[in-house]
Amino acid sequence: MIPVCKEIREDILKISKKSGHGHIPTCFSVVEILYAIYNTIKHDPRNPSWNERDIFILSKGHASLAHYCVLAHFGYFDIEKVYSFGAFLSDFGCHADRLKIPGIEASTGSLGHGIGLAVGMALGLKIKKNNRRVFTLIGDGESNEGSVWESVMVAVNLKLDNLTIIYDNNMSHSRGLQIHNPAEHFKGFCCDVVEINGHDVNVIEKELVKKSDTVRVIVANTKKGYDCKTLIESQYAWHRKSPNDQEFEKLMEELCEETI
Amino acid sequence: MRKQFKETIMDLSTYDDKIVLIFGDVSVYLFDEFKRKYSDRFYNMGICENTLISVGAGLSSQGFHPFIHTITPFITERSFEQIKLDMCYNQFGGNILSCGASFDYAWDGATHHCYTDLAILRLLPNIEVIQPGSRKEVDILLRSQYNNGKPTYFRLSDYPHDIDLPVEFGKGVVIKDEQSNFTVMTAGPMLGNVMEACKGLDVNLVYFHTIKPIDKETILKFKDTKILVIHDAFGLYEAICEVSNLSVSYYGLPDEFLSLYGTLEDIRKKIKLDAKSIREFLKRDFLKQILYE
Repeated sequence: MIPVCKEIREDILKISKKSGHGHIPTCFSVVEILYAIYNTIKHDPRNPSWNERDIFILSKGHASLAHYCVLAHFGYFDIEKVYSFGAFLSDFGCHADRLKIPGIEASTGSLGHGIGLAVGMALGLKIKKNNRRVFTLIGDGESNEGSVWESVMVAVNLKLDNLTIIYDNNMSHSRGLQIHNPAEHFKGFCCDVVEINGHDVNVIEKELVKKSDTVRVIVANTKKGYDCKTLIESQYAWHRKSPNDQEFEKLMEELCEETI
Repeated sequence: MRKQFKETIMDLSTYDDKIVLIFGDVSVYLFDEFKRKYSDRFYNMGICENTLISVGAGLSSQGFHPFIHTITPFITERSFEQIKLDMCYNQFGGNILSCGASFDYAWDGATHHCYTDLAILRLLPNIEVIQPGSRKEVDILLRSQYNNGKPTYFRLSDYPHDIDLPVEFGKGVVIKDEQSNFTVMTAGPMLGNVMEACKGLDVNLVYFHTIKPIDKETILKFKDTKILVIHDAFGLYEAICEVSNLSVSYYGLPDEFLSLYGTLEDIRKKIKLDAKSIREFLKRDFLKQILYE
């Protein structure tokens, strides 16, 4: 784990402990992906509505805390503000509101919506003959929703070569409806698919930069709770749980052990 | 009304290049001319109503005016959450135009009947809900609302009335003010039957094409009368009931599943929404009420 991603995870743990909210395991599975995205796409934290920016949509909206922490890291706002996470009248809700938070392109939360919005945005940019790109991060559990596959079919049919879907394969789906071999599913829908280690920032960045003549899908194999032993071993118990003082110390220690 | 939809769009498109059509595999042939002229802004996207709404919202975010069009129950009831979140919550405006109002597709049965659309959509914040009754209303209301940045629902019917009335968004029309103690209120294509039923009766008649926002001012003019809402759908009655201290009742759909086929006329007769049955009800029940009981 690179130091910056460890710091982002520390922020997630601290804010979750303070606020009593947050899906820590799912946030931890996407830290490298989110970091790599904002390290790669065209964007300007000082001017979030810059009209030449690329667009990123977090379709799996319950990883909002990770998203906030990454946005704060890139300078969209001060991390201190995120400590109000989930509180009454806070702008930083457990699912992000695009009208409240700079850098959030779409308000998501209910699963299977963000990807459809991303398809519409990518289509809009194509009509305008604008070469900005659209990226969306979907979850494997989210992909139980039929609307995800509707959107994939529509995107392929429209030849949206400006759209990249990142699939967080953190095995969330294993609790219920399982999607075996997701890469093969996307290939079946004629996407340009690559399967990678979703915790290797260099590899993710290389794949994000690549272009294709059709919809690109990056199947990112990740671990829920990466890379805290406690979270990985009891991810179901930790799905929506926030740490108490003792648990917090333990998780922080486990994070340090894993940092290279 | 779909022909009017096409004619209005063709005209608007001569000076607005932000119009994008997203169709769910209906009316495609009708819009062939648009497709030929503006091929990069016409999409028969397929039979995927949830995604039609989400994609429309995404297009809206990029400055376009989407027109999302397919069959009523599928684009409203099936895609309710997409309309609620992707359009209303996100504040990505756009136009939803349905076809197959209430029992327009009578012969197709219960799966293709839709009478809850107006009622459920009017509950959503930020939305406009329109039930045009005539081609003129389609034309004027489309032109006045399509690019205002809000989500707007137009419920198109294949059975419009052809009564020529003044049209202004959000305004009810007082068709008959007899200074009567009884008032009938209705909306949409039903007006033809309702006008025929009310002919010569001592009753005021008020008509709406805009369900949300409902014209409270016009309703209040009749607050001291007994009001009867006659409608072949839900939504208008509920909107009128939101005005305080009215005496208002509903004559329309029964609380039972209508699994009938046939024609629109057959179904209207069966549920007593044909002109003759409405008139009988007015004479036998509504106008016989003792006032201020």
